[in-house]
Amino acid sequence: MSAEAGADRTPDPLTEVAEVIGESPVRHALRRLSVYIRRNWRYYALWYVIILVYSAAMNTLPLAVGWSIGGLIDPAVSQAEVIDRCCLVAGLAVAGGGLRFISRLLVFNAAREVEYEIRNDLFEHLQKLPQSFYFRWRTGDLMSRCVNDLNSVRMLLGPGLLSVAQSPIIFVGAFIAMCTVSVKLAILMMVPYPLFILLARVIGGRLYLRSLAMQQSLASMSNLVQENIAGIAVVKAYAMEDDQAARFGDANDHLRSQQLSLIRTFAAMPALTGLLPAAGLGMVIVVGLGEIAAGRMQTQDLFAFAIYVRVLTFPAFMMGFAISLVQRGASAMLRIDEILSVEPSIADRPDAAPVESLSGAIEFRGLDFRYNQDARDAALEQVDLTIPAGSSLGVVGPVGSGKSTLASVIPRLFEVDDGQLFLDGIDVNQIQLSTLRSAIAMVPQDSFLFSMSLRENIAYGLPPGASEEAIRTAAERAELAGDILDLPLGYDTLVGERGVMLSGGQRQRTALARALALDPSILILDDTLSAVDAETERRIQTSLDEVFSGRTVLVVASRVNSVRHLDQIVVLDRGRIVERGTHESLLAERGLYARLAEEQERDEERSRMQAELDEPRDAAPAASAGEGA
Amino acid sequence: MSATARPEERVESEMDPHEEEALGRAYDGRLLLRLWPYIRPYRAQVTATILIVFPMFLLELAPATVVAVGINQILDAREMPGTEVLVESEGWTPDASLREFFTPALEWMNNPPDMFSNEIWLGMIFLVVTALLTVLSYGHQILMATTGQNAMRDLRRHVFEHISRLHMSFFDSIPVGRLVTRATNDVENVTEMFSQGLVALITDIFKMAGYAVVLFLLSPKLTLWTFAIVPILGIAAVIFRLKVREAFRAVRVKIARINTHIQETVTGMKVVQLFNREERNFSDFDRMNADHRDAWHQSIKYDSLLFSTIEMATGITMAVIIAVGTGIAEAGLIYIFIDYMQRFFMPLRDLSAKYSVMQSAMASSERIFEVLDMEPGVADPVEEMPETPDAMRGRVEFDHVWFSYGKTEGRAEEDIDWILRDVSFVVEPGEKVAFVGATGAGKTTIIKLLTRLYDVDRGVVRVDGIDVRDMPQQSLRRRIASVLQDVFLFSGSIARNIALGREDLDEVAVHRAAKAVEAHGFIERLPDGYATEVFERGANFSTGQRQILSFARALAHRAHILVLDEATSAIDTETEAAIQRGIHVLMEGKTAIAIAHRLSTIRDVDRIHVLAGGRLVESGAHSTLLAADGHYARLYRLQSEQVEAPETPAKLA
Repeated sequence: MSAEAGADRTPDPLTEVAEVIGESPVRHALRRLSVYIRRNWRYYALWYVIILVYSAAMNTLPLAVGWSIGGLIDPAVSQAEVIDRCCLVAGLAVAGGGLRFISRLLVFNAAREVEYEIRNDLFEHLQKLPQSFYFRWRTGDLMSRCVNDLNSVRMLLGPGLLSVAQSPIIFVGAFIAMCTVSVKLAILMMVPYPLFILLARVIGGRLYLRSLAMQQSLASMSNLVQENIAGIAVVKAYAMEDDQAARFGDANDHLRSQQLSLIRTFAAMPALTGLLPAAGLGMVIVVGLGEIAAGRMQTQDLFAFAIYVRVLTFPAFMMGFAISLVQRGASAMLRIDEILSVEPSIADRPDAAPVESLSGAIEFRGLDFRYNQDARDAALEQVDLTIPAGSSLGVVGPVGSGKSTLASVIPRLFEVDDGQLFLDGIDVNQIQLSTLRSAIAMVPQDSFLFSMSLRENIAYGLPPGASEEAIRTAAERAELAGDILDLPLGYDTLVGERGVMLSGGQRQRTALARALALDPSILILDDTLSAVDAETERRIQTSLDEVFSGRTVLVVASRVNSVRHLDQIVVLDRGRIVERGTHESLLAERGLYARLAEEQERDEERSRMQAELDEPRDAAPAASAGEGA
Repeated sequence: MSATARPEERVESEMDPHEEEALGRAYDGRLLLRLWPYIRPYRAQVTATILIVFPMFLLELAPATVVAVGINQILDAREMPGTEVLVESEGWTPDASLREFFTPALEWMNNPPDMFSNEIWLGMIFLVVTALLTVLSYGHQILMATTGQNAMRDLRRHVFEHISRLHMSFFDSIPVGRLVTRATNDVENVTEMFSQGLVALITDIFKMAGYAVVLFLLSPKLTLWTFAIVPILGIAAVIFRLKVREAFRAVRVKIARINTHIQETVTGMKVVQLFNREERNFSDFDRMNADHRDAWHQSIKYDSLLFSTIEMATGITMAVIIAVGTGIAEAGLIYIFIDYMQRFFMPLRDLSAKYSVMQSAMASSERIFEVLDMEPGVADPVEEMPETPDAMRGRVEFDHVWFSYGKTEGRAEEDIDWILRDVSFVVEPGEKVAFVGATGAGKTTIIKLLTRLYDVDRGVVRVDGIDVRDMPQQSLRRRIASVLQDVFLFSGSIARNIALGREDLDEVAVHRAAKAVEAHGFIERLPDGYATEVFERGANFSTGQRQILSFARALAHRAHILVLDEATSAIDTETEAAIQRGIHVLMEGKTAIAIAHRLSTIRDVDRIHVLAGGRLVESGAHSTLLAADGHYARLYRLQSEQVEAPETPAKLA
């Protein structure tokens, strides 16, 4: 088991990356980022000007130092004169420091600006992506791209870009300044630097692959932890702790070795780049001492060169560091782009029909649906169905027969082909998403709640500033108001992550209230009350009858009692409609529906008896939450 | 949060979701001490990491000396002042020991072997020293990183295993994301502290002290003059620290909000889209995002200010050295001074980065230890477990059990919110029983006590004749297979989700279990059959299918006690009946305990226990209960009156 799991944790290392994008990752990243950089061009332009001035100041400094030292060596120069020369050095240092302050401010702030823009774009894009996307992508993976990868991109744009753009300017400036002293030595000094380009290519490429591998390893370890905690009830119930620990151990070791291999490369870069100016100085010492001995050069010039080495050490070091930042940022940008480049398959068409409201008539015309192309079976097949506006439809059928799928395609949670699903006679793909979805209120099967207060959860679909009355009415209709009154904080109770503070039944009723707070022309209930006890369910049913009137209603149920009073009932089996009619006509058919109904009938009576049997217990809601019933 | 946490308290603790606000100190000795056990196994490497700094320091002294020797050689040749590198013109001689230390090295540099000229010799020394230094510092970094990564792998593993052992109530009260952060990002932050914070800090302090000492010994006067700038920098650093602490704090709080918002939106995307909340959500997000950016602008300002101040100071120091040195020191010494002063200042430049690393590492380790300090709540026994008598296998006994989710000690009897009151029953091996009762009657609690997710307050729960508290939890839970209310599927194949890592469950066992619960059919129709990947949280299966898989899982494990906790809510009645038949076959001779708010689940049971208000009000076989003429009998009669005679009478064995 664990060997197999280990194998799928390390998807083939990245050979496909370059193939897929058809260009080098760095070039790709820069091309993508140039959009954002252009948007903030003022920052960058100003920064560039300042860097030029800064480079001039910093490269004059060693000359000034040499000049001062010359005064110190030469007995002919007075002490006061030396001090004057030192003032020039100090002045240059102050100017350099000031310019440096402004340049860092500009480039780092610009990087944060771009980070802000990319994060906004990511978020906006994520909200447009359909459910099928979220099937495929794990939350942990998406989060790691939104957090860690975005961070790496920002590092590319901040310190990375700063060094990559600034170092060449400083190097050129230094070269020109050194040439004024000695062309020969200046060339010697720069000889080792072409090596740098070679280093950057070799190490940079490796760095890129390793950082991508490390990021993947980190993501899979996070997923494992996430799953272990989210599924802790199962882990404990099946005594899986040891097995999970072993799996985690593998992932943990794998991550460690990936990180170490990244660090080995990562650390090599600054170490080697630090050597370059030193190697230059070594040669300058050898040649320079000879030159001075021969009288072709002054001692102070050697001094100035030695200072240049110090000036260039940091930019060279930073350049090496920047190469790693750029590589890492490029791989991160690629991972972010993997999300951004997913076209939202469910979006408004440019030629969308100019409808603003829908009356609620729904028609399926030979609808075929499969979740993906290679699915062996269609989830829905040849579904023909007409639901007139204001009428109600019940959908029943065995487990996995396509009931929820049928409900989910109406608000276009999944994509259907053209010509198969119509609302008010308009192809659903031609209706603007906001128009479509505001005409529909749906209670999905999994009653997801947000970690806000109960009030905010119920008012989720209402415009800001919804009236207290609207919220209370919705809560009452969903039989939730009584529970809320018992809570110490009432409507302000925070429901916790995914609503963990509430019992399963309370969660479902909150999700129901959230839908009932709206005034939709179509109401879809997807097996909404499975965790609600029979008595409460009956009471809810009564208030629902009132809500149903005048709306198109679609009720998905695994039990027939929730649909028996509806105008029309269809029975699904393996994605096909096998029976249709009303409760009575279907019972008379003595088919699948009748069999389900008979089981149900007995069940129902037992439940009613049971309810009477239990003395009503004045249980605090807290206790029921503790029970988790 | 312990076992006794009351739900109300949980609600309160939930009200402060942004724990990051507690961030502050960058150094906490107590926390570092607690990290020590993880470093201890690697103390040899840590020692090596620190010791390596000394040769590195000595080597770092060399390059500037080489240049100085070269300069002085030239000046000597021209009969200019400056014969001795280490002598100040004022007549002060450096400390004898330092001199002794340096003199052989200087002589060696000044007297090349015959085959080399002076300049070649110096150039060679320079390059060799620099190369050596590079190798050493690379080795230093790798050693540091390896040690950090090893220690943190151990810490991460410890955190993970500790979390797995924690009490169930703990998981109700803390969001999943927060716990994941403990084992991932928080450990990552602590690792950073090792490689970039703590060890780097120690190294830096050693080196700075070393340079200060060497400079002072070379020329006290020049050193005092140039170090006049250090107190100013010190004050700047303190101000910076105060300002930046606030700025970093603001940043962290804001990024935490952003990430929580993304996470929640992603997991609840279906609801977001269904309710047309995209625009409003986006404008909320935009505001948070902009706040975060603006908070960074503050912190960038201080960071840049510190950085450029240090750079400025380095330049000014050069001017001071030359100005003060005029007349008292020669060119070689001045070069040495300039070089060492710059090396002295270097560590200060990225002080803000180190500060930030330390600060978040401290906050992270605090949070990690908060989790590690939580008691598992239910502890395994120390003594060996008693033998299980064969005749007892599958026997479950509740012996005068009292239980409350709240605290019981020190409370008046009438204040205790008892969930179970004096409940006693025995389920004999092979018996099938059901518990019925309203929400809050205590049905699910019975399961939780049986699997020892909680401990009883009074009385004893025995499984296989042994008090569950005398059994290791894993051993207890291997005896019991549960089908839980909330079905959780793991990533990986369907087969893995049924076998759950048990190696003795082969394909045959998995298929048999799946067939028994009518899952085989739909699994076989999937593109890859049993090898089909399950998406996150089982998103590619309907709720009903997930519940069926959960049944298959329980049956495959062939425990001798099966527990069903309201497991069929999303399953249609016909499938449910089929499942019941499958369970009946596979569970022949084994114990089964069922809980349901729909009575259909209990049609095959031998005995029914009726719970009300935490008490067992009635129990017995269907027929016994009828004969007893109590609640159940009354209800049964009610049933016969109301329902037309069913075609197939309920099977009550």
